[in-house]
Amino acid sequence: MAVSLSKGGNVSLSKEAPGLSKVCVGLGWDPRVTDGAEFDLDASVFICGDNDKVRSDADFVFYNNMTGANGAVAHQGDNRTGEGEGDDEQIVVDLGKLPADVQKLVFAVTIHEASSRGQNFGQVSNAFMRVVNAGGDKEIARYDLSEDYSVETAMVFGEVYRHGGEWKFKAVGQGFSGGLGPLASNHGVNIG
Amino acid sequence: MTQLAMGANAALAGNLISLGIALPSGATIDVTTLLLYDTGKVRGDDDMCLYGQPSVAGGAVALSGGAANPRFAYNLSRLPNGVEKLVVTATVDGSANFGSLAPFTVNVENGPTLPIETKGRSEAALILAEIYLRNGQWKIRHVAQGFNGGLKALAEHFGVDISDDAARRPAAGAAPPPPPTAGSSPAPVATPAAASGSAPEPATTVNISKVNLTKEKKTVSLTKKDGKYGKIGINLNWTQKPRKSGFLGLGGSGNVDLDLGAFVELSDGRKFGVQALGDQFGDYSREPYVKLLGDDRTGEATEGEWLQINGDKWSEIRRIMIFCFIYDGAANWRETDGYVTLHAPGQPEVEVRLNEYGSRDMFCAIAEIRNQGGEVAVERLVEFYLSHREADLAHGWGFEWVAGSKD
Repeated sequence: MAVSLSKGGNVSLSKEAPGLSKVCVGLGWDPRVTDGAEFDLDASVFICGDNDKVRSDADFVFYNNMTGANGAVAHQGDNRTGEGEGDDEQIVVDLGKLPADVQKLVFAVTIHEASSRGQNFGQVSNAFMRVVNAGGDKEIARYDLSEDYSVETAMVFGEVYRHGGEWKFKAVGQGFSGGLGPLASNHGVNIG
Repeated sequence: MTQLAMGANAALAGNLISLGIALPSGATIDVTTLLLYDTGKVRGDDDMCLYGQPSVAGGAVALSGGAANPRFAYNLSRLPNGVEKLVVTATVDGSANFGSLAPFTVNVENGPTLPIETKGRSEAALILAEIYLRNGQWKIRHVAQGFNGGLKALAEHFGVDISDDAARRPAAGAAPPPPPTAGSSPAPVATPAAASGSAPEPATTVNISKVNLTKEKKTVSLTKKDGKYGKIGINLNWTQKPRKSGFLGLGGSGNVDLDLGAFVELSDGRKFGVQALGDQFGDYSREPYVKLLGDDRTGEATEGEWLQINGDKWSEIRRIMIFCFIYDGAANWRETDGYVTLHAPGQPEVEVRLNEYGSRDMFCAIAEIRNQGGEVAVERLVEFYLSHREADLAHGWGFEWVAGSKD
């Protein structure tokens, strides 16, 4: 059973799932059944040092850059239509392998070309984002994008961050306007 | 009065709902409410409320009003057992579609208004709204998505049998092709952020565009950086149903083995085949500068199969044809749902989906990558052939073929 995290709520990953070494952020949605442009949702993560900024452009892990932090962060593949059961995109993080200067991972979901295609999460069926213990199947938090973020086109999902000697997860659930480019710029990535 | 944007939802107050539709003039529009079960489909004719059948479910769903201002009345507490959703639809009569009509509104009495945009639309049938139960609360969602094929496509989607007579109106094909949407075919290098002043060094920025090669957009050229392309990865992946679902796994031999391969022609005219069959894995640092990594026999490895092209030797390569073939298993490309992506450092990912189904042929020529004045030009093929030999003939390679097998 998922821990019900309200916006801004946080949870200790090590307490929720003892022995947790990997977390997986999953994104799922249903393929479009009506006519029109496909719904192409993208999961991405910013590997941040201090000040919530990436240490370098390579810390922006997304569909054109599938791994980061020496392989500790691994995007499992870009799904462009939502076909398939369960999570359609996943980002797996090996917490134990993250370099010491990594303070925070910021996970986000965006709709590819949302503005030119005139799309938002509410038009997509059964879109969700969740974080689970990659070892077991313990769901730590989950957001229903179709229902509760219907008019958004991008969302900062949550943060995995160091606190004392442990890793914690904070549910952010904050809509973001402008899409992936501005979101990346906000986190210190040079978008060209 | 609250306005609900497309995609947005709102809670409904109470169980007695009155929903009016202020239709635009200029076309005959039929409105219908469908009662859907957990399958997302109707169970029979009684699950449709329309002018020919204005009251169903013992009056729990009823249609009244004139042709321009139809009104549905719903008693949500008296819906038949198992009904999970009501969808409100509109279909345009004749050959028109909603794109030629003025915008209009759906109005819930004492509730939200849904402004239905029509500009740029190609649909002849629209799902205007859906009314659904969530956590014990009835809600309404502004959907405004639909089907270019009109009533027939809409009816099929919801499991409604319609007679040929009813289907005559906006049958598939009657609607004009959808207009190209701005931005649906992104240029390989342009990005939204690129326009905003202070352009950073191109070589040190991140490219967030991606490219889908489709029937409509067949080609793309990668831009050259520093005269070299680096390691170009070609990935074949497929979303085969996992064995545990008992679908393809039944019978033990049902798994499909999709093999990735390439024909390579160097600038001096020499030709090579690279594939697992016959152990011709190629070589990255020497000719043919194309190497096949491993062989995923089941599709369960999430990474799929990889070819690597030595992009630093691009000047020595004339063309490469990427193909895949079904080594073992039935030629059912739809079940396999394969897709090939091309990854080059600092370049947008290029994806080709093998989504032209129906062929029983075992060989699919996926794409041709040509050296075009030093550029990497990728052309989508997705052509099906009986075997290597026929594909070879069609594309003028001229190999000699003998039967081979894998261990």
